[in-house]
Amino acid sequence: MNEINITVTVNGTEINAKVKPELSLLRFLRGQGFYDVKCGCEMGDCGTCTVILNGQAVKSCITLAAQADGGTVWTDKGLGVCDDITKRLQKAFVEHGAIQCGFCTPGMIVAGKAYIDNGGRADREEIKKAISGNLCRCTGYKKIVDAIFDVAEKIRKQE
Amino acid sequence: MKSFNYISVVTLNQALEALQQEKENACLVAGATNVLPFIRYKKINNKTLINIRNLKELRYIQETDEKIFIGSLTTITDLEKSDILKKYAPALVDAARNFADPTTRNSATIGGNIANASPAADTAPPLLALDAVVVSVSKSGERKIPIDEFFTGVNMTALKPEEMIKEIEIPKNPANSHSHFIKLGLRNAMAISIVSAAAVLEIESGKIKKVRIALGSVAPTPVRGRTVEKLLMGQDFSDKVIEKASSRIHEDISPISDIRASREYRQTVASVVVKRALQKIGGIY
Repeated sequence: MNEINITVTVNGTEINAKVKPELSLLRFLRGQGFYDVKCGCEMGDCGTCTVILNGQAVKSCITLAAQADGGTVWTDKGLGVCDDITKRLQKAFVEHGAIQCGFCTPGMIVAGKAYIDNGGRADREEIKKAISGNLCRCTGYKKIVDAIFDVAEKIRKQE
Repeated sequence: MKSFNYISVVTLNQALEALQQEKENACLVAGATNVLPFIRYKKINNKTLINIRNLKELRYIQETDEKIFIGSLTTITDLEKSDILKKYAPALVDAARNFADPTTRNSATIGGNIANASPAADTAPPLLALDAVVVSVSKSGERKIPIDEFFTGVNMTALKPEEMIKEIEIPKNPANSHSHFIKLGLRNAMAISIVSAAAVLEIESGKIKKVRIALGSVAPTPVRGRTVEKLLMGQDFSDKVIEKASSRIHEDISPISDIRASREYRQTVASVVVKRALQKIGGIY
């Protein structure tokens, strides 16, 4: 035995799968072809595997796939199609040159989306805290903060 | 080879049934932020993972006239946002704000943080300083464990295999309302502390009426700074008194050298962190 059946809706598509109890949500998602969810440190330090699980940002490498059973997962790629804030963040990241190697980008965008969703404002210090669990090894933080700041400020002006 | 079983529960009763059945084989999983790294590094194996992430009935922060009750499945994000805690237990809110990073705080729970019993657990020093009581529960009923008796060693607690944490009680009093927590880490986020300290302080007519100090990452378990507390009791509150008493914190702690810091460094900065925590509260009065 030692395998369990789970049903998870990822980016709007229902997926049925058999998984081992100890499988991480990260490995499950990549196994299903969601390669925009990156595998970095696999111990919760780098944040590049961040996804939205049942409405909240989580690090998928330190979440069990089995715990997502019956739930909904959105990754950067899926959000980029369906979610307005994510679309704007993706565009702002390109405009600000906030992508160098791109490995941290999916996690940064999801963390940025979670920040704005939770009422986060155009405040550089607060944005830095919001992405504090996401590492960029190209040392591109300034441009990443600029991109999130830009989107947050445009939203404020619209309000 | 890795080999795990899995049970997912949604009610407390189901969780207690599963614990009773699995006993030593059981490994409760809530946020999974500790458990998954443990699985990856083969620190645990051949366990039955009991998923309690969806056990909603233990996710709450409530108050009565005398106490605050925090359900064990309350996330660190919940602690951070709680107005009740901001008023009656600010040290715990400080700890929540310094805990890992915002994303991890969405998953990690207060029950998991103390059940894991890391010497560096961020919520432990505040809970020690706030004089918390851990309420455990099993099929045979509830049990109250004073936080001073809860941590028994590195990753070891007073919980029995069939028990889990139901909630944490914190008394409401003037000292607890004037509490503070400071964490010294190598990075602002996702840091495991080098030294952390929580303090509660009640000052009346310029004199220290009540003081409790607790530290993390300086001993096999989170510890109280009893020597410093004794030195401060009844004294006039002044920077000089605080500084002199804090310098004796080395008598209460037994730090080790590890990859994060040396024993000597920890001993030196512990007194500084304790002093700053006390001064910060003194500044509020």
